[in-house]
Amino acid sequence: MLLRIALATILAFQYGSVADSLRADERRDQPAILDLFRPLGEEVKESVVQILCGGTPVALGTVVAADGYVMTKRSELTSDPIRVRFADGRLFPARVAAVKRRNDLALLRVDAEIEFQPLTFDTRSPAIASFLISVGRTGRPIGLGVVGVKERPIEHRGRLGVMLEDDAKGRALVQLVLPESGAAIAGISPGDRIVAINGEAEGSRDAVINRLKSMYPGESVKLTILRPNDLSEFDSLDISAQIRELGMLQESASDTKVNGPRNIRLSGFDRVIQHDTVLDPEDCGGPVIDSEGRAIGMNIARAGRVVSYLLPSSLILPEMLEMLEEARSNLD
Amino acid sequence: MRLDGDFVLFRNFALLILFTLSGFSPSIAQIKEASPTASDSSLEFVIQQEKAGPSDVLGEISSTGTRCDVDDVLLPLLSKGGIPKNIDTLRALEGQQNQVASVVANCTVGVKIGAAKGCGVIITKSGYVLTAAHVAMRPGLTAEIFMADGRIVKAKSLGMNRSVDAGLMKIDADQNDGKPWPHATLGSSEGILPGMWCIATGHPGGYDKQRGAVTRVGRILAVRDLALVTDCALIGGDSGGPLFNLAGELIAVHSRIGNDVADNLHVPIEHYADSWERMQEGESWGYLPGFKPVLGVRGSPASDKAVLEVIRVGSPADKAGLQEGDIVEEFGDKLLTDFKSLQDAVADTMPGERVRLLINRNGKTRIVVVEIGRAGGV
Repeated sequence: MLLRIALATILAFQYGSVADSLRADERRDQPAILDLFRPLGEEVKESVVQILCGGTPVALGTVVAADGYVMTKRSELTSDPIRVRFADGRLFPARVAAVKRRNDLALLRVDAEIEFQPLTFDTRSPAIASFLISVGRTGRPIGLGVVGVKERPIEHRGRLGVMLEDDAKGRALVQLVLPESGAAIAGISPGDRIVAINGEAEGSRDAVINRLKSMYPGESVKLTILRPNDLSEFDSLDISAQIRELGMLQESASDTKVNGPRNIRLSGFDRVIQHDTVLDPEDCGGPVIDSEGRAIGMNIARAGRVVSYLLPSSLILPEMLEMLEEARSNLD
Repeated sequence: MRLDGDFVLFRNFALLILFTLSGFSPSIAQIKEASPTASDSSLEFVIQQEKAGPSDVLGEISSTGTRCDVDDVLLPLLSKGGIPKNIDTLRALEGQQNQVASVVANCTVGVKIGAAKGCGVIITKSGYVLTAAHVAMRPGLTAEIFMADGRIVKAKSLGMNRSVDAGLMKIDADQNDGKPWPHATLGSSEGILPGMWCIATGHPGGYDKQRGAVTRVGRILAVRDLALVTDCALIGGDSGGPLFNLAGELIAVHSRIGNDVADNLHVPIEHYADSWERMQEGESWGYLPGFKPVLGVRGSPASDKAVLEVIRVGSPADKAGLQEGDIVEEFGDKLLTDFKSLQDAVADTMPGERVRLLINRNGKTRIVVVEIGRAGGV
């Protein structure tokens, strides 16, 4: 006899909110503890900026070169004009000078005749349970956390949100569209044929899938679709759709609630250090320092209720140098 | 315990089913089989246990547990909690956290029973594992234990005190080449005060070999009879994992969460000592407030069969299509002898669980799958 069950991944089950206002005094992240780290934050504050797109704060940024370069989280940038705000409140326009899609990094060139204070990265890797401080634009610690997991890669899990098969002519035929996916939001329907991606023709289901696999969460893709019409013919149309995180497409409404606000890109990093700092999605891109004030990395994702990721300095440095080289050579 | 979020809890419990899925066909993937357990095997393993009370267990682990020396400068933080007075004390606290995190990693294990994934903590050389009652589920089940080094070993669930969500398991003998298991040193929940520092480990989202256990550091926010509340952020999959004090002593086991990231509840270790003998004997009892499982039927205790005399309208039994006059012969893996045995079997489930019933209707045998409901639920 078999006992058949459909029980969940267990299962810290939820009991609702307990609003004990008194408890705020005992929290790990209370102001009196953050104040202990304040002098360390002060030391790097000239290297931390806030990034605004079209006037809306979207991320933090880290000053990485004296000739006016700032590094940030690429997928949070929009097509709106970029400005960066410094510790003293001054605001300057900036533009994207180089990107590293693979680790979701963007290098911005700031248009200002000022003295820039680049951050000194430290490639030491802190032990599990070491304190980490995420520093905000004014040098204020915006969050305290500890290292939760040693460095590891996070494979990317971006999906358009379609299931495909080959039709009789060997074209990629949409069978099923995942609810809430980029495909669903863009209005792709079963019966559509995807015949080109970003203007390049793709012959078959496998070709389309391979091409889509190279797209990271948060990226937008232009699809050329053949859609059957009433006359048993096909209309051709171009549709823009966003690649989204598979994990977020699959989760339940209550998981979404428990996890809280997250970045649009949570995966696809060569190496991350996982920590438990409670961050807002727009807090990524700024430096993370240890209890000695050393900059051991840069926040790259708020990924869930118990998960924030930072890129370690040992990964950032070579990426940064390559981007700087590319940006400077384009200036010539 | 407050019940204002109770409905969220129940709904969440059912919805959490999606959490383990890797594919896109929940209707198929949801239904996984628990390891079949012959009804008399529970007897056998109870006999195999050595009879150890909590004090014997303490003696067994005195030599090589997780207890860490605490520097004098940290003694006030250890005994009373509070905020380090300067950055140097903070760094000393950090060093202590590093030390505790490194010694507790090996006794933190992943637990998988059927499709459900949680955690546990080994507390003896012989392989007793504390977990949450809702992870151990019911006595006599076979579990897979995921060790820190990647090994997977077999264990059996013993007993559980569901009224506090405390559960006990034991790793099957002869799986470690005669060597003792890495295990935690038991602390005490007594004397725990709000403001004390604590270290949580576990496998959020379920065991992930590449990642391993995840460490969190927080503080005690409230001390209640049924639970410690901390800001060590937990999520599905952490249940049953350990909470340690700054001396590396086990003080509680992860149980449940609220919406706020600082609403994390843990079962105080004292409840395990109090329930030890009954749990070790394979007994299960009680239910968490708001978590009483119901089927929604009535019958007569006098009958020598489990005959359903009344089906409550809208109940789980009603929704599953059970009818008055049906005789339930099997409930999951349990053979029923009378109505009382059906009641006992239902009491051993949890709301949200799906159970296969073998029924006799007008002389014909049928299989009906019921999703167990919650008393007072909808």
